[in-house]
Amino acid sequence: MLSALPEAIGILLSVEGILVLVLGTVLGIILGAMPGIGSTVAVAIVLPFTLTMGQAPAILLLLAVYAGSVYGGSISAILINTPGTPQSAATCLDGYPMAQRGEAGIALGWATVASVVGGLVSAIVLIFAAPQLAAFALQFGPIETFALILLGMTCIVSVSTGSVVKGLMAGMIGIFLSTVGGDPILGEMRFTFGNWQLFAGFNLLAVVIGVFALSEVFIRASAPISRVSDLVAFNGIVLPSWQMWKGRLRNLTKSVAIGNVIGVLPGTGAATAAFISYAEGRRSSPNRDGFGKGEPDGIVSSEAANNAVTGGALVPTMALGIPGDAITAVMLATLTLHGITPGPKLVEDNPTLIASIFAGFFIINLLLLPLGMMLSRVAAPILRVREAFMMTAIVILCAVGIYFVRGNPFDLLIMGGAGFVGFLLRRQGVPMAPLVIGMVLGPTLELTLRQGLILTDGNFLAFFTDHPIAMVLAIAALLALSLPLWRGLLTRRAA
Amino acid sequence: MQRFANERVIVQMVLLIVAVALYASTFQQSFSASDVAQSPMFFPRIILTLWIGLAIIALIQTLRVQQTQTPIASWARIGVVIVAALIYTNVIGAEGFFLPSVIFALICLPAFGIRNPFMIVLFAVLVPGALVFLFNHTLGMPLPTSRFTYLF
Amino acid sequence: MKMKYLISTAVAAVIASSAAMADGFPERPINLIAPFNAGGGTDLLLRGLAPHFAEAIGSEVFVSNMAGGSGTVAASALQGQRPDGYQLAYMSITVSTIQPQIKDVPYGLDSWTPICSVAASPTLLFVANDSPFQTAEDVVEAVKAEPGKYVYGSSGPGAMTHLTTVAAFAGLGILDDMKHLPFQGSGPAIKELTAGNIQFFGDTEALMQRGDFRPLMVFNDTRLENFPDTPTATEVGIEAPLNELYLWGGLFAPAGLEPDVTAKLEAACEASVASDGFMEFANNSGTVINYRGAAEFDAFYRAQYQSNSSLIEAAGL
Repeated sequence: MLSALPEAIGILLSVEGILVLVLGTVLGIILGAMPGIGSTVAVAIVLPFTLTMGQAPAILLLLAVYAGSVYGGSISAILINTPGTPQSAATCLDGYPMAQRGEAGIALGWATVASVVGGLVSAIVLIFAAPQLAAFALQFGPIETFALILLGMTCIVSVSTGSVVKGLMAGMIGIFLSTVGGDPILGEMRFTFGNWQLFAGFNLLAVVIGVFALSEVFIRASAPISRVSDLVAFNGIVLPSWQMWKGRLRNLTKSVAIGNVIGVLPGTGAATAAFISYAEGRRSSPNRDGFGKGEPDGIVSSEAANNAVTGGALVPTMALGIPGDAITAVMLATLTLHGITPGPKLVEDNPTLIASIFAGFFIINLLLLPLGMMLSRVAAPILRVREAFMMTAIVILCAVGIYFVRGNPFDLLIMGGAGFVGFLLRRQGVPMAPLVIGMVLGPTLELTLRQGLILTDGNFLAFFTDHPIAMVLAIAALLALSLPLWRGLLTRRAA
Repeated sequence: MQRFANERVIVQMVLLIVAVALYASTFQQSFSASDVAQSPMFFPRIILTLWIGLAIIALIQTLRVQQTQTPIASWARIGVVIVAALIYTNVIGAEGFFLPSVIFALICLPAFGIRNPFMIVLFAVLVPGALVFLFNHTLGMPLPTSRFTYLF
Repeated sequence: MKMKYLISTAVAAVIASSAAMADGFPERPINLIAPFNAGGGTDLLLRGLAPHFAEAIGSEVFVSNMAGGSGTVAASALQGQRPDGYQLAYMSITVSTIQPQIKDVPYGLDSWTPICSVAASPTLLFVANDSPFQTAEDVVEAVKAEPGKYVYGSSGPGAMTHLTTVAAFAGLGILDDMKHLPFQGSGPAIKELTAGNIQFFGDTEALMQRGDFRPLMVFNDTRLENFPDTPTATEVGIEAPLNELYLWGGLFAPAGLEPDVTAKLEAACEASVASDGFMEFANNSGTVINYRGAAEFDAFYRAQYQSNSSLIEAAGL
């Protein structure tokens, strides 16, 4: 494939190639930055256009929109505390407090640089190590995935700002919500109470947008209105200087690595990576004490990891023909339409196409920096409109975004309900990030647990005794849970 | 009285009651699964048990600690916004996207303190109108339409 | 744009006059509903068909998605709609004949006016290429020797992939000696087949070609062109109704659609399925075209609904 790179770059640097990359990225950033409208809707909007395009431009357009929207999601997360997707939920935790302090520009700067680095590294890894990583992904069966998800669940503790008990409870509520609907093994209906609309369960995005974006509107409505144009002070992205990176590079490297590894494993995804990376940052960063109060390392952890996932997710997609997430599944289907059979021979049979996809992905990530800075300058005046217009527009946009996720007005009802409940819970200091983690990880946790029990004939201990990778991950999970407690005990004794 | 009947305690109580009710509902259905771990209710019961346990701890904490609640600046405003948003999200499916959006904006903007009627009407018509034009008539991904016409 | 409009109205006029009853249908855009996510197989098939369908019917046609509950949410929502011909759903064998028999959905056998079938692919039972099993006899022997050891996968309970494996192993009389491991979609299942956590999987030819796999039998009435050495299920000794399985799909309107509207939609469907553009699309995407008109499709659909009930019983759903 590497030998096909020069020819691939030739394709990319044509007028059509550049146009697709730039316009796709711009569109992705804009759509991702709109509250309520995330990657799913962005991809759905461009999908019809890809049908009439050539193979490489079609895939590149999807990739550009996808990568752009993942990055764009961090903009609304930081500026107005409304993540468009679950994967930028962790970005809010430190991004919004920074914005409230009047450091919105630099907060976005951290997010931008972290995203770009995450994306670029994952593109390089993709180009040079896709086959090896794909072989690694095959080592992860249901039982290993179960252990990984268990480790992911421990993040609930680290993202529980305020009360750990309330955070854990929110996590349980999230997992419970994910069990509503069809049982994954037997197909029987649970907690639907005869309502066929619930057969499909609670839509993750509807709940996420409800508890973050809509409840944010309610919270603003409950606070006194200030007459000045007052959202946040923002005049465009300010890039952090080299000095500011001092002591933060380790955290960045770690976050990129976490994003890459998790992206490679099918069935996990960007939100999982962002949360695990955030939790790891909170455990090991020298600036860990500031996490949750507006610490740049929190933004870096989450953004570097969720962007690194986009490249990682392409590994099993391109090397094995197994989609890493919902968006890569769309890419595979698009390839099929163009007469290409995804599978282990994909790279071998279409070296130029794959090389141009990989190289294009690299360029897209390079483009994020200038395009992000440019768009942020253009968009800055929008933030100066009166809060009233912004809040009303958020509700309307959320309705549009959630409607298009599954084309079902019932999801709007779920969003409304989630917004109201989220408002009540947030007023009681119940953090919402754990609820999202629970909903994201819950289905895989249950599925892999029960798959594992089928494979081991109901022997739960065999999960760990027969599967060394699972054993290591489980020990890591235990440590992740016990270390904060241990640390807490030590500081209490010292005091 | 204030100590037991405030918003914090009530919300925590409701969370506990919901969890217990859901747990009770898991016994109403019978499933054909042969072993316990593969029953569709096996996993939800574990989660609900943890939820109940945590809710009890949270409730006790709430009762023991006296904390002041963030005050609501204006009950009228928050009431209007929440009710309008809930009705709005409920009626889009039946009444279409455009008309409910216009009405929602007409209610929500004054609630948030906009007094200029020209600005209110302009925003209320332009924003939903632009979205309908974009999605229904340009991109071919229609938002729900009203009972009067398929155009919006 | 004007030109396109003129052409489409001209085509509409031709169809309208041929259908004798010129009641003005269609006078607004027609909505083709894909009961799955945008970008999925069903969705892309519909998007491939839509422009040709629009040309044939003489009206704007758009594809919308209503995903969830293995397609039952869209079907349930459509079943309550007025049968005006402006809302059609592309439903597969599972959405229309399997799900209503295993779930308490508000629709059933008589909820639909079938318009036309579009595609049908036989399914195959397959193993990884390095698997020791060469024939169905090998499998029966190995499973009987070690009951409870071997695992077959599926893309979910009640999915076509599940029914394929159930038909194979129930037909061979070894279903109870095997374990079923459902996944969420075919992708993860294929990965585990490659990795060796499951030994058997069943899906269409297009999907089988995504990996390094080898077919053991095909649920078709004849052997497949691409796999002349793979026996049909009947040859292996599997009896009807378990011996033939097709992942088919077609357009459905709610029950009670007026006959002349049905006729117009049927004619448009036939013309669009036979169009060069769609043929090329099908060829590229590995879609096996299988057109049936309204009456024929209705009879086929009803027969399938009945015969699949025995399969559902075998699967224990």
